[in-house]
Amino acid sequence: MSLSRRYFLSFAALAFVSVMLAPPAMADAFKVALVMPGNITDQSWNQAGYEGLMNAKKELGIEVAFSEKVAQPDQAEAMADYARRGYNVVIGHGGEFQEAANRVARKHPDTLFVVHNGTEPAKNIATLDFYYKQFGYLLGVIAGRMSKSGKVGFIGAQKIKFSTDLVAGYQEGFETVQPNGQVFIAWTNDWDDIAKGKEAALSQIAQGADVVFPTMDNAAIGSLQAAQEKGVWGFYLYYDSIVDWPDTVLQSAIMDIKAAMVDLLALAKEGKAEGKNYNMDVNSPKAARLGTYHSAIPADVKAEVEGLVAKMKSGELRP
Amino acid sequence: MMMEILLDPTMLSDFLSTSLRLSIPVVFAALGGVLSERSGVYNIGLEGMMLAGAFGAAVGTFFTDLPIVGLVTGMFAGTLTAVVLAVLAVSLGVSQIVAGIAINIFSIGVTSFLSRIVFSGQANTMTLPGYKAFAIPGLASIPIIGPVLFNQDALVYLMYVTVPLLFYLLFRTSWGLNIRAVGENPRAADTAGVRVNMVRYLCVLGSGALAGLGGCYLVLSQVFLFSEHMSAGKGFIALAAIILGRWNPVGALLACLLFGLFDALQLRLQFANPEVPYQAFVILPYVVSILALVGLVGKPRPPGAVGLPYRRESK
Repeated sequence: MSLSRRYFLSFAALAFVSVMLAPPAMADAFKVALVMPGNITDQSWNQAGYEGLMNAKKELGIEVAFSEKVAQPDQAEAMADYARRGYNVVIGHGGEFQEAANRVARKHPDTLFVVHNGTEPAKNIATLDFYYKQFGYLLGVIAGRMSKSGKVGFIGAQKIKFSTDLVAGYQEGFETVQPNGQVFIAWTNDWDDIAKGKEAALSQIAQGADVVFPTMDNAAIGSLQAAQEKGVWGFYLYYDSIVDWPDTVLQSAIMDIKAAMVDLLALAKEGKAEGKNYNMDVNSPKAARLGTYHSAIPADVKAEVEGLVAKMKSGELRP
Repeated sequence: MMMEILLDPTMLSDFLSTSLRLSIPVVFAALGGVLSERSGVYNIGLEGMMLAGAFGAAVGTFFTDLPIVGLVTGMFAGTLTAVVLAVLAVSLGVSQIVAGIAINIFSIGVTSFLSRIVFSGQANTMTLPGYKAFAIPGLASIPIIGPVLFNQDALVYLMYVTVPLLFYLLFRTSWGLNIRAVGENPRAADTAGVRVNMVRYLCVLGSGALAGLGGCYLVLSQVFLFSEHMSAGKGFIALAAIILGRWNPVGALLACLLFGLFDALQLRLQFANPEVPYQAFVILPYVVSILALVGLVGKPRPPGAVGLPYRRESK
């Protein structure tokens, strides 16, 4: 081969420079940056975050930027970089960004940091989270009513507050209906490994589970596929997923981070957002609600669940 | 729990099927790695080639509705990615490790980018046609292992054929002798008239095609859609399987099956033992492989010239 390193490098350098010469962003608009752990096409948590950001851009006329697939070691640098570039709000999309936000926020007191599912609000750190246990509980009750075998599955990627709260509620709700039933819990340790998500669900189904509740990002699709192939029920999160899985999904916990983001960013734009926790539950149905019931769910079960929602709204029921 | 799995025949064959399915993509990638490293080129880029293969398979099937086209485009995409490694590592003599890592990173980015263009963000909800399992009459009725081994899809059967073929190629043909000579001592091979870089090129390209086949399995047999970063580290497990299998196709196959077995086992052990931290089970396949590396077999001896670019003019 006559291709030499010098030619190769000069072409590569040329390509690099032409990419870097893209026009710079304009100054002095209200600027928001979103840093995400995964990719924006996962039909799940990250996609919801991205769409929320885009909705905010459209509705509030703000300038936005985002980074995808930011790994744990790069979180602080990614957030600090946006803060240095003058972004007014920097959002970490997931509870795993809390540590990084704590470190960066002290050095950038004029920037508001928002941590979705965060646990420690501070002077310039706001956290936005959902009452996950409520929704886990409601789905658990439906699982209990729909399971014939008395065995249901829950699949998570990692044990973080989001998934431990969900599973605790799910178990609690399920056990109110089927006290002697069994909840199989599997952790795959991977949000993206779709094949493993499928195998985890298949092995729960093989052991008798007839309702499975996957809570990963990309990988959850694999679990729902397993449920569809084996003819058992599934649950899902974030959007009304029955449109994509009409014969599989019983109900979805729509935790609409999109709506919540737009509301919080509107406050921030007016300068009214504070360093506190913004919690979304059944009382903020725009952001957090149940989706469409599958037609196989009997009317009395529906009524029971709606009754529970009403009790949660009044504060009588706190799972 | 262990006993339950071992005693109940349907549960046992179900468990073994899971193990097999989890290991197939890794087997293909590991076979590719064996081929490449036997010729003296480390292929750290297996992960990226597998991902490219998965994307190629999804694109080919998406536009034609024919899984066989997807198989071809998937292997082609894997090969194309391998061209990058071949040019960088064989022709330009760049560090093979660095080139491989670059390919992995590049592949994640470029497949995500292209999949958003081709499938316009709907990649996760489509269902592509693929290969469904079919039983081989007679063999499938052997108790327990029959349904595990002989009630699978076409790509699994292809794997059964590929392993002995590659073994035969490497150890029983003069081509294989050339490949191994190039990997052990390229100067001696060159003196004997073997075109060292040509052999390495072919092996790296073949390696890419095999890793691409692993990606095809993910898409065409397992989940019937393309999802970003769906290879999820399987290519790195293949790298360990190559060493554990002593740069031998049959050994690599056994190593991958071992991983698959313990991966399937950990998924089942978890919900029988909720009080044990799940991480203890998740690391099981890796712990077993480390134990196997240390305990089972003596010191691994990689091909003599692996990792070293060959320059005829240098001394």
